[in-house]
Amino acid sequence: MIKKSLLATLVVSALFTGATANDDMKKWLRPTEVPQPTNNKLTPARIELGKLLYFDKRLSKNDTVSCATCHSPARGWTDEVPTSKAVGFEGRVGPRNSPVVLNSAYQRHQFWDGRAKSLEQQALGPIEADVEMNMPLKELVPKLQKIKGYKPLFDKAYPGEGINKETIAKAIASFERTVVSTESPFDKYAKGDKKAISKDAKEGFSLFKGKAHCVDCHDGFNFTDGSFQNIGLHDGNLTGKELGRYNVKKRAAWYGVFKTPTLRDVTKSYPYFHDGSVKTLKEATVICSHGGRFEHNVKNKSDVMVDRHLSEAEVDKIVEFMKSLTGPDLDIKVPTKFPQ
Amino acid sequence: MKKIAIAALLASVTLFGADHVIDQKGKTFIPHEITVKVGDTLTFVNSDPFAHNAYTDDEANEFDIGMQAPGTKKTVPVKAAGKFDVECAIHPNMLLEVTAN
Repeated sequence: MIKKSLLATLVVSALFTGATANDDMKKWLRPTEVPQPTNNKLTPARIELGKLLYFDKRLSKNDTVSCATCHSPARGWTDEVPTSKAVGFEGRVGPRNSPVVLNSAYQRHQFWDGRAKSLEQQALGPIEADVEMNMPLKELVPKLQKIKGYKPLFDKAYPGEGINKETIAKAIASFERTVVSTESPFDKYAKGDKKAISKDAKEGFSLFKGKAHCVDCHDGFNFTDGSFQNIGLHDGNLTGKELGRYNVKKRAAWYGVFKTPTLRDVTKSYPYFHDGSVKTLKEATVICSHGGRFEHNVKNKSDVMVDRHLSEAEVDKIVEFMKSLTGPDLDIKVPTKFPQ
Repeated sequence: MKKIAIAALLASVTLFGADHVIDQKGKTFIPHEITVKVGDTLTFVNSDPFAHNAYTDDEANEFDIGMQAPGTKKTVPVKAAGKFDVECAIHPNMLLEVTAN
């Protein structure tokens, strides 16, 4: 029953019903399906197994940290702290703001620097990271194999494949593909309900697409085009993790760039930016619409990061619009019992 | 005179290969797939109001045109046969599939 309702939730949450959108609004509507790789199509068994793994703290070295610790459904699928402070392994501090899991299924690249090209590839990274779950996969696999209750679940989800790093990753990725947007007031508006959002939010949407140029990066139904941008949060030479995607490969265009995040449910995913340095949507909007925190001496700053000369009232309207992108929480029941 | 010009043009195409224009517009490569010959060139034209890029990590054809400002174009040679993907480093959802014969 639970399994059926999980799939039903996925399908229903992705479908749109009721009024029809005009052509101008179609690009903003949520898709009817979540992308799935051919070797890991969604099934109830895979989703349920992935959910257990996602919330199971035994996937960490000392049984204290799960995926949900830093990507919690109760905290907007992130953790409400700037850089995963005091929630990683033994309170260790991660270098970046915990990215939201919501709608990651629609992203071609995972992590702020895009170093993973699939959710399956991404899923194992935090498990092994010493500041997160600190669990070497060569130890995790036998650990899970010893938990008898997991074997039938893996057998059902991935018949004949066994418990290994690939099936662990595929199961977690399957669950993450169910973490998608619910219908927000904006979605109702996009479908034709003109009263679904306020006058200020409508004007904010116009500014968002027009004068403010937010859409240059926050484009499409997921309010990100998946682009990598240097938004000028730091000036001068960058070092370490601030180099962003440049750490993946020393490509000139990747110096100090980070992935454009979704704005879906953005009111739940504070603080903002890859370093979690901004607490409010208004402050984030001011920084982005004024050409970054630093106007000058930013190496490889994106050319869309220029001062758009917005008034405070205009910024407020854009914030009102972004608030309308938040829908009800997903109906996901957090497991309280795990396989033994 | 015209005949000479046409002959010269044909000779240059034969000698240097054809040039294929790839438009970068609306955060897409247009066309998004193309079949070319070794010796041809690809010219990327940025029609969007913001910067683009084009690169491939294909070993035999590796190139990276760097940051490409709006309204500019850059040309790269097709050096070896095979199939390879070209991506925009800024907008990775922009993909071009190249088949080089």
